[in-house]
Amino acid sequence: MAANTNTPTALDKEQIIGMAEKEMEYRVELFNKLTQTCFAKCVEKRYKEPELNMGETSCIDRCVSKYWQVTNLVGHLLGSGRPPM
Amino acid sequence: MTENTPPASVNETTEKTAAVIEPIRLPTIEEVRGQDIWNNCAVRSVASGIMGGGLGMAMGLFLGALDNPIQQEQMTGRQLFVYTAKQMGGRSWHSCKAFAVMGLIFSAAECVVEKARAKHDITNSAIAGCVTGGAISAKTGGPKGACLGCAGFAAFSVAIEKFLDRHE
Repeated sequence: MAANTNTPTALDKEQIIGMAEKEMEYRVELFNKLTQTCFAKCVEKRYKEPELNMGETSCIDRCVSKYWQVTNLVGHLLGSGRPPM
Repeated sequence: MTENTPPASVNETTEKTAAVIEPIRLPTIEEVRGQDIWNNCAVRSVASGIMGGGLGMAMGLFLGALDNPIQQEQMTGRQLFVYTAKQMGGRSWHSCKAFAVMGLIFSAAECVVEKARAKHDITNSAIAGCVTGGAISAKTGGPKGACLGCAGFAAFSVAIEKFLDRHE
């Protein structure tokens, strides 16, 4: 039959690679923003010791969890509800 | 290689500065696990209780050795020794228990409060001190004794924390 429809064309490969690059950039940006936000929020500026104490660890756990939930929620809202409210 | 090598002192200083600056390394999995174990409230409070017990035992031994019996001249050396040993043993066990309980309650309260507040403050120590003082004094003093014990122990632990912070 039409074997051409099964093999990806060069354009498709370019598109896939482009999408993968965009996805990678998005992920890296998300990681950097997450780290910066939670570090600024949870760790005090006066560094008294090099190790993270328990309060900071717990704060970072909660910060990452909330950030991730917000990201997912905003992604869903942007993806599903097309007209802005 | 007709050029002279740089003087030995320059090489030594660069080597020393290179030795002092360490590369950034992420914690290994064992370090992460060790920190997780130490962040556990139960492990922390038990370790603190054991340390408090050791401290109480040493203090009780020392204070028990100072206790002189009333009939000191009439007892022989051996009787005196046995009496002092019994005093030391009894005192050290009693204060070992007291300090172990104090350390356990304080550490557990501080750990729980710090995890709940997600902050590393001095108010964690104050709240933990209040809980400890109140728990220890509630048996003998009732509610009023519990309030006094709470205030007293909270002030004591805040003072100790400030003293320790200043020494860093």
